[in-house]
Amino acid sequence: MTAPLRWLVALLAILAIGMVPIILPALGATFWVNVAAEILIWSLLAASVNLLLGYVGLLSFGQALYFGFGMYGVAIGIGQFGLGIWSALALGVGAATLMAAIAGALAVRLTWHYFAIITVVFSLIFYFVAMSAKSITGGDDGLSFSLPPLFGKGGPSLSDRVTQFYFIYTICLVCYAAMALLVASPLGMRFAAVRENENRAALIGINVYLTRWIAFVAAGFLAGVGGALFALFGRYASASHMFYHVSGEAVVWALVGGIGTLFGPLVGTALLILFREIVSGLWDHYLLAVGAAVILTVMFAPRGIVGSIDALLALRRPDIGDADSDVAR
Amino acid sequence: MDLAIALTINGLVWGLIVALIALGLSIIFGLLDIINVAHGDFFMVGTVLVLVVAGSTSFWVAVILVPLLGFALGLVIERLVIRPTIDAAALTIATSFGLSMIMQESVRATFGAQARRMPMPVDGTIRVFGLDYDIYRLLAAAFAAACIAAFFLFLSRTTLGTWIRAVRHDRETATALGIPVARVCAITFAIGTALALLGGAIAAPITTVEFRTGVDILPACFMAVIIGGLGNLGGTVAAALLLAVLEGIVSSVADPTTARIASLAVMSVVLLVRPHGLFAGATR
Repeated sequence: MTAPLRWLVALLAILAIGMVPIILPALGATFWVNVAAEILIWSLLAASVNLLLGYVGLLSFGQALYFGFGMYGVAIGIGQFGLGIWSALALGVGAATLMAAIAGALAVRLTWHYFAIITVVFSLIFYFVAMSAKSITGGDDGLSFSLPPLFGKGGPSLSDRVTQFYFIYTICLVCYAAMALLVASPLGMRFAAVRENENRAALIGINVYLTRWIAFVAAGFLAGVGGALFALFGRYASASHMFYHVSGEAVVWALVGGIGTLFGPLVGTALLILFREIVSGLWDHYLLAVGAAVILTVMFAPRGIVGSIDALLALRRPDIGDADSDVAR
Repeated sequence: MDLAIALTINGLVWGLIVALIALGLSIIFGLLDIINVAHGDFFMVGTVLVLVVAGSTSFWVAVILVPLLGFALGLVIERLVIRPTIDAAALTIATSFGLSMIMQESVRATFGAQARRMPMPVDGTIRVFGLDYDIYRLLAAAFAAACIAAFFLFLSRTTLGTWIRAVRHDRETATALGIPVARVCAITFAIGTALALLGGAIAAPITTVEFRTGVDILPACFMAVIIGGLGNLGGTVAAALLLAVLEGIVSSVADPTTARIASLAVMSVVLLVRPHGLFAGATR
């Protein structure tokens, strides 16, 4: 896609998602407003996988850890410390980012398979800690809390479906905008250089370790925002959302949507969650269909949905397509 | 003290079974370079199939039959799902994740969602280091050890085993020498799958049988493969044993979750200090 066309599509998509709480209730599908909100939240987890895999070439299987820190930061902040929404949000995202900074400092010394395993190991450690520290985290049962008002008493509240949607929508929009700026910045160019060839990147003076660490912290931040929003959305935090299977699901969403593309993870998350919601109403064993859909998508669109559409539209630029296929290796 | 001995032997038994499964993962990993997140579910399918087959025949027939079914299943899956995405390792995560969902849901749909236990095929206990220990657990350990030994003999003594090692060592040279690489890859995947089902078959009487067990065992297998050193099959076995025994020893002084956390912490230290595995030579 040419650059102006790309921005036009992005703008239309942003507007269309923004219309969701207006259009869907008018069609009598109020329930789907919450599904849309949930998709936006989970897409941040997929986006954090994508930032690592698609932009610096690191496969993380442990992003649920930072999602979990965001989630527990909010739940503990509101439930135990009696914080307001904004300070709890800051606590959750701050905790996730700090954890990513510490874990990342160790993890990005490794690459590829080794990196994938160390991220799983870190997330499993904290999963088991959260499961056993029942007094703080509620373990498997989770931790529920009641929502404080958004801006003081009597103001708008997240218990209103539409307010909640726009709250999540705005924060996600800011995150995606920040990610777009990041990957287009000189730092984003360094990400790409490290992804393509770390030796050459090092030879032209890029600090490979530092570049990877920054990407890891940024990815942890995104996952943390997702987790914090998820806690507010469900008024609930549970250790089960920190399990490595959740991280794996995010990797699949990102791959199905298309890694290395800004909106691929959002598209992948949206399609798979929508597919699941629709089929689960019709068939008890809907996961069979979801599994088959995942396999068929990556078989017929190996660059993911957005990546494949991009490649179709950019047939005249095969060199760029080749660079993409390197990422997927 | 008795508890410590019992838990250490438990760790050893479980470690041998995990080693068998991890070997399957390791050859698939080493030869096809795919991250097979469905491997744990092959183990789970093994436990379920044994329970079902043993119900109509006997456990001993089932233990022979289930790995053969696993081999066939592996051949079919390799052809239908793995081969089309083999060129992109990251994509195989998605395909095997899809497979994992399909296997879990198929088992849930047919076998049911509740966890079941299988009766031990050999009753009775035997005195080991002054305490009564299930005979079947020792038999399971011996059987797993024998299968591991047989697998290593297969790799080193047979033509097919030599081909597998050759393809792993240098795919291009192997092709040039006339080794049918695509067929070797398919058979390797099938053998890896068969090993996972075999592990499940042996483990079924000493673990719970349900559709979720694969998710629990998968990290242990991957850790054994990585800690042992990628492509180092002997290292995989040693690492699986080491981790399981360590967990057994720690769980004699603390609760199982703490033991799990401890073994994971050890693992992260090993990964960070010796990223190419515990047993990597100085040349790496």
